[in-house]
Amino acid sequence: MDGCQSTIPTSEGDLHVVAAAHHIVKALGATKNLSDDLRKILIDLDAHLSMITSNTDSKGGRGFLDVEERLKQAERKILSWESDPRMIWDSGPREASEYLEAVDEIQTLVDGLQGLSVHENRKQKELIHRAMSVLQMAMSRLEEELIHIVVQHRQQFDPKYMSSRSTQTYVVYDESFVSVEDEPAEETSSRNCSSDEIGEFIVDLIHADVIPDIKSIAKVMFTSNYGPEFCEAFIGVRKEALEQYFAILDTEKLSIEDVLKLEWTNMSSKMNKWTWSMKIIVRVYLASEKQLCDQVLGDFGSVSSFCFLEISKATILCLLNFGEAVAMGPHQPEKLLRLLDMYETLADLLRDIDTLFPEEAGSFVRLQFHELLESLGDSSIAAFEAFRVAISSNGSLYPFPGGGVHPLNKYVMNYIRMFPEYCNTLNLLLKSQHADVEDQVIEPDNGPNLSLSTSCPMACHLRSITSSLESNLHRKSQLYKNEALQHIFLMNNIHYMVQKVKGSELRLFFGDEWIRKHNGKFQQHAKNYERATWSSVIYFLKDDNPGSSSLSKSTFKERCKGFSIAFEEVYKTQTSWSIPDPQLREDLRISTSLKVVLAYRTFLGRNPAHIEDKCVKHTVEHVEKLLLDLFEGSPRSLRNSRRW
Amino acid sequence: MPATDYQASFLGRISLRRNQVIAMDGNHEQEDLELFSKHVSERFTELLSPPDDVVFDTLLSISWLRKLLDVFLCCEAEFKAVLMMGDDDHPFQISKPPLDRLIHEFLDRSIKALDLCNAVTNGLDSVRHYQKLAEIAASALGQKPIGDGQARRSRKALNSLLMAMSVDDKECSAVKTTERSWSFSRLAVNKDRSPGHLRQVAKKWSAAKQIQAMTWNLVPPRGAEGSGLASPVYTMSVIMVFVMWALAAAIPCQERNGLSATYFPVRKQWSWDQSITGLHEKIAEEWKEKEKKGAAGLLSEVQKMEKLVRNLMEFTDSFQFHGGTDEKAEEAADHAAELAEICKRMEEGLLPLQMKIKEVFHRIVRSRAEFLQALKQGGKSSAPPV
Repeated sequence: MDGCQSTIPTSEGDLHVVAAAHHIVKALGATKNLSDDLRKILIDLDAHLSMITSNTDSKGGRGFLDVEERLKQAERKILSWESDPRMIWDSGPREASEYLEAVDEIQTLVDGLQGLSVHENRKQKELIHRAMSVLQMAMSRLEEELIHIVVQHRQQFDPKYMSSRSTQTYVVYDESFVSVEDEPAEETSSRNCSSDEIGEFIVDLIHADVIPDIKSIAKVMFTSNYGPEFCEAFIGVRKEALEQYFAILDTEKLSIEDVLKLEWTNMSSKMNKWTWSMKIIVRVYLASEKQLCDQVLGDFGSVSSFCFLEISKATILCLLNFGEAVAMGPHQPEKLLRLLDMYETLADLLRDIDTLFPEEAGSFVRLQFHELLESLGDSSIAAFEAFRVAISSNGSLYPFPGGGVHPLNKYVMNYIRMFPEYCNTLNLLLKSQHADVEDQVIEPDNGPNLSLSTSCPMACHLRSITSSLESNLHRKSQLYKNEALQHIFLMNNIHYMVQKVKGSELRLFFGDEWIRKHNGKFQQHAKNYERATWSSVIYFLKDDNPGSSSLSKSTFKERCKGFSIAFEEVYKTQTSWSIPDPQLREDLRISTSLKVVLAYRTFLGRNPAHIEDKCVKHTVEHVEKLLLDLFEGSPRSLRNSRRW
Repeated sequence: MPATDYQASFLGRISLRRNQVIAMDGNHEQEDLELFSKHVSERFTELLSPPDDVVFDTLLSISWLRKLLDVFLCCEAEFKAVLMMGDDDHPFQISKPPLDRLIHEFLDRSIKALDLCNAVTNGLDSVRHYQKLAEIAASALGQKPIGDGQARRSRKALNSLLMAMSVDDKECSAVKTTERSWSFSRLAVNKDRSPGHLRQVAKKWSAAKQIQAMTWNLVPPRGAEGSGLASPVYTMSVIMVFVMWALAAAIPCQERNGLSATYFPVRKQWSWDQSITGLHEKIAEEWKEKEKKGAAGLLSEVQKMEKLVRNLMEFTDSFQFHGGTDEKAEEAADHAAELAEICKRMEEGLLPLQMKIKEVFHRIVRSRAEFLQALKQGGKSSAPPV
């Protein structure tokens, strides 16, 4: 009973009052259904009153006997455990509560003795010292018990269950931009973290059964002013637990220098892992740790948040540090999506962090979080810019064989197909970035949503990207000597772009107008191809004098031969060309067929007399059939054809 | 410090060259360079021996380190201004050889400095742990009269504190499974609990090696280089290495063996040489002392703390057997009060120091990005037009 100064009653009457009060208090204390607080007050009062009584007695020389007896008993209890190799809480709840009772008793006696205003009483001093000494012994013991309990009852939880996706199945578009020429990757992937968000998920880091035990230790240690010892011990073990959990997550500690030296594939998987660990650590582990601290220390004011900060700070800083290192590194285009993942993860966790560290003391952690978020945003923009530069500056020395879909095109289109998933973030980040859009698409207002998505910053940047891609492809087409092949190449590639846009969410951002325009473009290239290839071939079948009858035999023969040679030449080259898209290939064959076969049939029909002639090397049906071999990407030639 | 060896032979030539340079292009760039050098010199002189009207901070105290970091930030800002502003007259000078190489080397050094900042930040957590234990000991001994209970309570905390200090110190050389400060009790048998208090930067990382690596290619510019922008790059490098070295010496961090071997190839050519060399020598001297005694770092608060802790240990030891005489108790109470005072200073100073280190960290990161950007732009513009 701090602050309550007892005065020694002088009169007999006073002593009677004290004795009566003491009696009442004892009787009340025996009541079964008392709240803990009330019981504590009564016990204190009891001690206090008994102290007054015994103190008065001491005048007669027999003072403090009662107190000393009580102290002895409690001391015996405490000392008996000192030589016992077992842990108290392991030995059973009865042992534990008896021990706590003994500690309580000592504490009560100490309070009572200290509350007395008798100065320089040798006996009183001796008893206080003795009680304090036993108390210290008990506190030291409780600290050990605490550590033992916290360590023994730690709950393991497997991080894999925290997410529907196992750690192994990272399917991501991780191709390095540098490898574009070597290995076109058609198969792309889904983004890994967006769909299966880790929700708020609190687990028991320490078995729920022992929480009351830990609390009772906390209570008695704090009551005896051993709170700092409790905190240091608790922080120590919990910090270790977090450290070990960190190891379970397999998060290797890397210096910034190490991170900057990582190769892309390694870096990419580490970035993924970071995104994932960050979520689990913050949303699951730290949220649970916070709850644990509150459960155990909630009754002691700001102590709980102090301990939580001490436990978690180092780990958070270590995690953030990897982010810093990544944000510093060169901003290669292939990093973009991973950077955006990291950015979104942090942005997502900001609220959690603010809740976990609401106090002034936690402002350091919050600040670091915000700083990192900002630098990751800047890095994302830089990577985006690098992506654009890489597209426009990607150069080739040799024409791409067969005129098919260029790997750069595949890379870019498959890569940007992921962008809509990051739409909000990209819009936020790109808002202030000027998009250099050459072919600005003014979309007619087709309802609010559509127009919004075609005019949002990301949409502008997307169109700017594809327009640099297009110009680059135009440059690449110039590498072909054959004009027709240039058109096949552009047709294939633009068609590919359109397909990718139409077949994904990208169409919302590119808009119908873009699609129409680009449909027109590749169809124009198809027409140009036909003109470039077939007009010279069909030239041989031309009717010079419409209306007149059949050609002379020699002219017919000559025309036939010319046609055959030209056709075979086309056949030879263009069977090696490639139109990967079956539908597009089919369409072009049909339209070619229409033109060529029709002209040939007409030509032969106009000269029925010579049809049986040997010079008619290919029948109409034959030509029609041969045309089917074109654009398969496997060169063929018409053997035994050199008969002239 | 062999710096003095150079002096006689080079000094004459240096002054000669300076005159030539000024004659050649006595423009304001030269003035800027000299001003930068002068400011650096002034700032470090103040750290070495502050003028009378300034509150004196003990060398390597928390407040001194904060001042040191402020000096670093000021020098860094001016350094960047000198190098970048020069661009008006000499566009993209920094992206041309030999300056581009020097800048790249400088940037490599700054990455190492970042890791050092992190190591030291981890180390401050250890110091914070010392503080908490010292608080317990001080408050137990601050009670009157001191009984056996308080003596033992304080003894336990002091013991843990000394153990924590020696663990951190040992971890500087080898990271082993060390029992934590509390584990000398019956739980010591329970060896599966591992790590010591000091958090690693990375496996096999070594503060001493990092700092040595920072000095590998740190050579004073020679010949005509010495008068151009190479000189501030060199100056700033020396400042960076020195600051990181001082931090590592003061605050516990991973692997500090061989820290005393750090050698700064400074020369009298610069006006700041004396002050930095002076500081370096003073600290190196203390470090040598430390290596003999074994302590958790040169942070003056920690050193004082350690001394007090040993005194108080002695007191509590004797208390156990003889009880305290009044005289001894008085002395112990004084020591406890001093210890409490140090704890208070730590309570006030550690977090701001940690934040200051982070500020330095972020500054280095930002400057590195700006330099890289400038190098890139310069590289583009100076390339022949295609």
